[in-house]
Amino acid sequence: MYGFEALTFNVDGGYLEAIVRGHRAGLLTASDYNNLCQCENLDDIKMHLSATEYGSYLQNEPSPLHTTTIVEKCTLKLVDEYKHMLCQATEPLSTFLEYITYGHMIDNVVLIVTGTLHERDVHELLEKCHPLGMFDSIATLAVAQNMRELYRLVLVDTPLAPYFSECITSEDLDDMNIEIMRNTLYKAYLEDFYRFCQKLGGATAEIMSDLLSFEADRRAVNITINSIGTELTRDDRRKLYSNFGLLYPYGHEELAVCEDIDQVRGVMEKYPPYQSIFAKMSYGESQMLDKAFYEEEVKRLCLAFEQQVCVSVIEQALSPLLVPLLVVNYGI
Amino acid sequence: MEEKEEDQTLSFSEVVEEQGQRGSEEENVVQFLDSLDSYLTLFDSLSSTLRQGWLELASARHSMGVSRINGTLLDLKPHSAATTLQVSEPDVDYMMGQPHFKLSKWASSNNENCCSGEEKIREDKLQTKSDSPQLRHRSQFSETPATNGAPLIVDDQVQKERSKSLSMFGTLVSPKLRSAQLSFETALETLIEIANMRSTMFSTSDQIRKEMAGTKG
Repeated sequence: MYGFEALTFNVDGGYLEAIVRGHRAGLLTASDYNNLCQCENLDDIKMHLSATEYGSYLQNEPSPLHTTTIVEKCTLKLVDEYKHMLCQATEPLSTFLEYITYGHMIDNVVLIVTGTLHERDVHELLEKCHPLGMFDSIATLAVAQNMRELYRLVLVDTPLAPYFSECITSEDLDDMNIEIMRNTLYKAYLEDFYRFCQKLGGATAEIMSDLLSFEADRRAVNITINSIGTELTRDDRRKLYSNFGLLYPYGHEELAVCEDIDQVRGVMEKYPPYQSIFAKMSYGESQMLDKAFYEEEVKRLCLAFEQQVCVSVIEQALSPLLVPLLVVNYGI
Repeated sequence: MEEKEEDQTLSFSEVVEEQGQRGSEEENVVQFLDSLDSYLTLFDSLSSTLRQGWLELASARHSMGVSRINGTLLDLKPHSAATTLQVSEPDVDYMMGQPHFKLSKWASSNNENCCSGEEKIREDKLQTKSDSPQLRHRSQFSETPATNGAPLIVDDQVQKERSKSLSMFGTLVSPKLRSAQLSFETALETLIEIANMRSTMFSTSDQIRKEMAGTKG
């Protein structure tokens, strides 16, 4: 018997998917970026952005403008759109949207802890936190002396609590321990997000598995390159890699023992999806790698829009919205 | 006759002295122009190095994230300067009597006597190395440890100091941030060269003015 499936088709996510596709249509185009690149000062940038969807956020800002003001207003647009979507979302989309903020929460926690270690004022640090990663007791982070206190005083009541199981020690917070904490938290977050998406199944699992695997692999490569010549041991480096992704587990074993960029290239070129990325770079060069990975990420994000009616479309929408901020962040 | 010879001799010596003075003036003018040319070239070099450094810093900020590279992470705890400037006062040994600027990079905070931390470390390590058995290390850059061990150790020490100063942005930083650090380090060295060149210019210019005033008088 037919059950009038068309009556309830797309009833939960249809509105938000339409909103997201509308936001995508409002993204800056190549001609917008060409105009922005020709701007000679921030007032020119404001004038060019006034014709875009960012215009309403910048129109009331008085001159002289500052770079941080433009970044703040553009970020505010993203946050407002995110909050609107979160209000309208039902399960499992609402949980999915909350997962997007956990990465920013981790960044904010590390920023507050590092800034406190450097004797900075908490209010100054709170102003620099990303709004998507804010939570109620974030200011209390400045009180903690070690990771155990960090967990017990503040993070036990936050969504990051489950990610702390591998981090809880009584060692004092110093630069190396904070770095290990950051990467361990992010690893646990990515793995949790991956499991959640797998549970959702369907197109979401298919698309998000690919994107999260790419993110995990990219992180593994960045950790390897950034740790070359530092005190981080091979075992510690290996522990920071996520337990999924194309490089897991054999690629990780090889990356853990790499001592220079050419050895990293040798490992990555065995994996066809990454051959094209490393083909763009000459031997011994590592500076173009970020750009190459970024371009690959954007390609995969754009492909996600080819699918219909899945929560991952919304996650893809939030990533490209951050792109215009990059033009401003480079400054003039 | 003898008076005539004396007059000729005197005028000859005056001519020689005059030619000597003119030669010295021309030499000063040439030196001034050379130093001016070097000054302008160094200025160009400085602006391009700084531009490169800022671009690398922005790239690092893009790849590592805004929360990892921003002004609020700068360390406000008291700590000694990683690099110091020494100014040598002009004395009679200097031809022009000009001050001379010298940069002491990555000087150890515990070492009060070193004018360059690298030199002191090199001396200590050479002393130690001469007493103990030395291992040979096979690498593509290998030379005998007796000739190359000390510079490698100095390089390691300098690398450690560089990493220490970057540690306020985290331990695992992007290669772009390290490049930015190198660019700003090069810019600092260029600034010192500019200061020394400027000092030479002023000193030479003073010399020329004095000579011209002497000639007119």
